[in-house]
Amino acid sequence: MRNTIISLVATATFALASSTAFSQGYPERNITMVVPFAAGGPTDTVTRLVAETMSKDLGQQILVENVGGAGGTLGASQVAKAEPDGYTLLLHHIGMATSATLYRKLPYDTLNAFEYVGLVTDVPMTIVAKKDFEATDLKGLVEYVKANADKISLANAGIGAASHLCGMLFMNEIKVPLVTVPYKGTGPAMTDLLGGQVDLMCDQTTNTTKQIKGGTIKAYAVTSAKRLDALPDVPTVAEAGLPGMQVGIWHGIYAPKGTPAEVTQKLSASLQKALKDPNIIARFAELGTVPVTDDEATPAGLKAKLESEVARWKPIIEAAGQYAD
Amino acid sequence: MKSLSFSSRDIVCGLLFILVGLFFAMQAYGLELGTAFRMGPGYFPFVLAGILILLGIIVIIQGTQIEHEPMGPIAWRGMLFILPAPIFFGLTVRGLGFVPSLFLTALIAAFASTKMRPGMALLLVGGLTIFSVVVFSYALGLPFRRFGPWLGQ
Amino acid sequence: MELFNNLVLGFTTAGAPWNLFFCFVGVILGTLIGVLPGIGATATIAMLLPITFQLEPVSSLIMLAGIYYGAQYGGSTTAILINMPGESSSAVTAIDGYQMARKGRAGAALAIAAIGSFFAGTVSTILVAVFAPPLTAVALKFGSAEYFSLMIVGLVSSIALAHGSVVKALGMVVLGLLLGLVGTDIYTGTPRFNLGILELSDGLNFVAVAVGVFGIAEILRNLENEHDRDVMIKKVTNLWPTKQDWKEMTAPILRGTAIGSALGILPGGGAILASFASYTVEKRMSKTPQEFGKGAVAGVAGPESANNAGAQTSFIPMLTLGIPANPVMALMIGAMIIQGIVPGPNVATEQPALFWGIIASMWIGNLMLILLNLPLIGLWVKLLTIPYYMLFPAIIAFCSIGVYSVNSNVFDLYAVAFFGLIGYVLAKLRCEPAPLLLGFVLGPLLEEHLRRAMIMSRGDATTFVTRPISLTLLLLAAAVLVVVLLPSIRKKRDEVFVED
Repeated sequence: MRNTIISLVATATFALASSTAFSQGYPERNITMVVPFAAGGPTDTVTRLVAETMSKDLGQQILVENVGGAGGTLGASQVAKAEPDGYTLLLHHIGMATSATLYRKLPYDTLNAFEYVGLVTDVPMTIVAKKDFEATDLKGLVEYVKANADKISLANAGIGAASHLCGMLFMNEIKVPLVTVPYKGTGPAMTDLLGGQVDLMCDQTTNTTKQIKGGTIKAYAVTSAKRLDALPDVPTVAEAGLPGMQVGIWHGIYAPKGTPAEVTQKLSASLQKALKDPNIIARFAELGTVPVTDDEATPAGLKAKLESEVARWKPIIEAAGQYAD
Repeated sequence: MKSLSFSSRDIVCGLLFILVGLFFAMQAYGLELGTAFRMGPGYFPFVLAGILILLGIIVIIQGTQIEHEPMGPIAWRGMLFILPAPIFFGLTVRGLGFVPSLFLTALIAAFASTKMRPGMALLLVGGLTIFSVVVFSYALGLPFRRFGPWLGQ
Repeated sequence: MELFNNLVLGFTTAGAPWNLFFCFVGVILGTLIGVLPGIGATATIAMLLPITFQLEPVSSLIMLAGIYYGAQYGGSTTAILINMPGESSSAVTAIDGYQMARKGRAGAALAIAAIGSFFAGTVSTILVAVFAPPLTAVALKFGSAEYFSLMIVGLVSSIALAHGSVVKALGMVVLGLLLGLVGTDIYTGTPRFNLGILELSDGLNFVAVAVGVFGIAEILRNLENEHDRDVMIKKVTNLWPTKQDWKEMTAPILRGTAIGSALGILPGGGAILASFASYTVEKRMSKTPQEFGKGAVAGVAGPESANNAGAQTSFIPMLTLGIPANPVMALMIGAMIIQGIVPGPNVATEQPALFWGIIASMWIGNLMLILLNLPLIGLWVKLLTIPYYMLFPAIIAFCSIGVYSVNSNVFDLYAVAFFGLIGYVLAKLRCEPAPLLLGFVLGPLLEEHLRRAMIMSRGDATTFVTRPISLTLLLLAAAVLVVVLLPSIRKKRDEVFVED
């Protein structure tokens, strides 16, 4: 690991040195960072925080452009087709990996259409239930669900959403198929969970932390490796007996295929700096997440993550047999 | 007494409903209809399409009972210039960039009116472009490229 | 008294010079952008959102809320002046407001809209302050079965939107419902009716459809015969509502406020129905229903009040639950998160200054709007004296920018052109666009709630009549249907139609 870091730092330094000759003083104008989701959502929030901080470091404004639609694939395909000059970037989450299987007719080749800048953050999920749900801990929950499978409804925010992925993983782990109730987005799903119209959901901490703290829903476990500072009383899935549920909604920055390595290295270095910014750390903490480490915020780190995640989700999605096209 | 002549307006309207209904019905039939518990994606639209076809038939029947009204003039010139304008904007805003694309879009639209003279149009469209660039691009900071890659930038 | 203390805290926060300033800026920006054709509140907020990121959280939210009301005022203005609604709510205002404008009464229509909105805004702000928590509890009782039944009420009453043939109006509603289903089925992820176009997988864009069937179609109609028919410049009779207008608008404003406030608290799509429901009620209660669609004062006053009341009370689920009731609220929540406030059930206790500051600023914002807009009416009406052939290229340009800016999706622009053509054809066939738009916004909701209610009841359709709220709503729908189908009213309707 240490060797990789050293070699990466070396590459970065070399790249920086050579880039003065190659693409003199990149960036020379505003950079557009495409978010493949509507303004105001959790991914948009992450993007704007990162873009703002990186802008200061790069000396050029990073403009955030929301290109929503088709589970993020519209925005991704727009960036895949953009000029590979480093002035069009993409910030996408785990959907980049899952849409490779969820969509059978993607207009781009997920693993070969992009250059990588780096991972940004990994937002954990929480397994939650309506306030008056019987079970007191995850073990109890699993037993109860197994005994009453025909009565339980599992909510999600639509095909391909974080909550849908996590729900599939949950059913895969406990080997019990449940009645799933899709919603159009997290808001309505959470409303029905608050109102007790549905029983269970598994969603990002971004959406659930405040409700858990407010006592309006019950939390059984977080899907991260360690307990969260924001929710110290909620055990991890490993502690609670479902280690296979470890999952996170990771976010990464991509550039179109053919973008010079000097550019992606420079962006990656800037990303690493941004992720150490106290403001970003504080804001991420409020969302229940932390920035990734330096060796993940690199082209190699993101490439490895994307490849392993495409492979991880393929069988789960295929087993569920639900596709988005 | 109402005359028994057909209202072409209602016939066309009824036919339109029926055709659109048939289109949706055929498309929906190709989808899974499902059960009442787990309705498939085709269930609800299929029912709706059926209702639309039925309404189309009623409109045609009623059309035979209502007095005929003239259709009025049709805005051919308007359609020829107005409808392509947003399409042109869509085709060029990324390539040409915001400024030239908007200028040409408004210019195309301007010629929909027979009252528009070329000089007037250029003046009007020029002012409009400047206003839009100041408001949308500078003041609001929308992420549009002002001049696009097709112009060698 | 706790409420009093809270309100004092709220007004001190919102009344701080800095916050007043941002409230004012928001209101002005919102009005100005909202008044550009084809750009409604959602598009405006989406466009202006980044501007607020640099501010203090309270100031930023106050400014955003200001943009929201401002854009709604602005949206009504374009609906009245040039028949170009940017939101589903102003689609209703366009029906009679635009007709008033064509009769030279644009000033009165704008004033009525402003006064109605202000009154509704004041009442519903009080409602939010006093009843937010208990109302939330009521809203949570609404499951999918209840929403489905509510949508049925809306659908049945939509027939009143038309002033021509009932059958054609129904046809337009159904057509709208079907168009609303274009996209991806959320239950299975199956793409439907999208003709293989990837851009359609999230459905048709509302703004594109509304701008097309209302605005573009209207421009085409005005271009039909330019020489005979000088479009707008009928003499402007008076800028202000007459005594008769005041008499005619009072009751509709009161009823509209009540309807809007009630529907606005339902996060699953209640606010959408507010202006449509109010229009229906006014037409039913009116002694002169034949005036509706031809410039009825009540047809502007009621829906505008309902719309604004609903807009205010839709803050309730957001503030008390942290749940967005509509796309604008979703954007506001996004803004809060970026500001480091994660909205949720504890915001009121953890951040009382913010919570009550926003509530107080709602009223201040409404006050500013009416003070700002009444004098502006003269200016807006002057706009109508610009020759139409100079006005419409600008309308087309702004529509194109507005539609494109929401999602940076060029496909939406093609949809504008397509629906402009469809809207024109339908207008020629005497099919009205308002029921189509209602169907369009209700279609996905109706199907979503129907299917979800059936899943939850495990396929038992009696769920709609065994749940008391749902049953009440269905009975209400039946009552409306009976009234609509009463022979006497049918007769009156046919007379109107023949007169046309």
